[in-house]
Amino acid sequence: MSGNARYVFAVARDLDVAELSGTHGFQGAAVEAVEHEKLAAVVCDVDLAEFGAEPLTRNLEDLAWVERVARTHNEVVWRVAAVSTCAPLRLVTVCADDESVRAKVDSLRAGLEDVLDRIEGRQEWSVKVLVAPRPAGETSPVAPATSGADYLRRKRQASDRRRDLSVEAEHIARDVHDLAHTHAVASRRLAPQDPRLTGRPETMVLNAAYLVEADEHEAFTAALHAAGEQHPSVTVEVEGPWPAYSFAVLE
Amino acid sequence: MSERTLAPVRGGAPDRPAYGPAPSNLADVLERVLDKGIVIAGDIQVNLLDIELLTVKIRLLVVSVDKAAELGIDWWRTDPMLSSEAKDRELADENERLRARLQELEASSENGQ
Repeated sequence: MSGNARYVFAVARDLDVAELSGTHGFQGAAVEAVEHEKLAAVVCDVDLAEFGAEPLTRNLEDLAWVERVARTHNEVVWRVAAVSTCAPLRLVTVCADDESVRAKVDSLRAGLEDVLDRIEGRQEWSVKVLVAPRPAGETSPVAPATSGADYLRRKRQASDRRRDLSVEAEHIARDVHDLAHTHAVASRRLAPQDPRLTGRPETMVLNAAYLVEADEHEAFTAALHAAGEQHPSVTVEVEGPWPAYSFAVLE
Repeated sequence: MSERTLAPVRGGAPDRPAYGPAPSNLADVLERVLDKGIVIAGDIQVNLLDIELLTVKIRLLVVSVDKAAELGIDWWRTDPMLSSEAKDRELADENERLRARLQELEASSENGQ
């Protein structure tokens, strides 16, 4: 299969496409808007030799390809979100041509409008709570065990301590989530990221997304930073604002 | 959230804080672009039931199916793109095959030690 198709990054409202000039999608292709009534699908040309069904199936097995495409997709979404109300699309949405893009936007219009209403003037914030792999103090030097019973007792104590810490961390995670939620209009708990994927040794006990009013973000971040200081046994990470990926879901 | 709060600008552009740089953490990017966002069935479709995307997701998470379930990473079970009954059944079969394969691998690696 050869020729071009249209890769769709996002559906936006109140987009002035001139503000996207200089934004590039894949292979240097310019990002364009396919307008349909008040909505605009943000697209770029892609080569079917790379994004056709068969090459796509193959490419999705290539992690370097997936990473490159994911980052480009995300960067374009980022630019669009900065200048409009933007509902990001899931990775690799490819349509034959602009007519097809318009028809799909039209068929989903009511749902898309609902999503855009939900996220307008709001942004996504990420909050993570991480626990260090070993608690401070456990590394202090200890005299060798004097007997087998002593050894077992120490093992049991260490295991109890670990269990208490993990229970404590779960409680803190819940408190942090509840606190963040009170400053947000919606929240979504995501699966904790595996340390092998994040490359970090800590255990993630909370990974959540919050939809926050743009003019409430200072109160949101201030509350979470205070929570982080209140709980020195964990790290509270607040990142954002991000485009509202986690809340751009068709009902 | 009181005195610092700005009144929303009615009829004008919403008050948007500038977006910072996109996250560099690949996990943050992938969990959003692969698992969140609007799903529109494009004209070019990869058959997820050939588990291409599914395996990519699992491999990106660098966890086995069993380990992922244990960690509460079970989005593929609720993914709307995969949720019709027939698809579920195929997925279940696929999972079963993956599990069987995993057990084989685990068994062989234990034997090898």
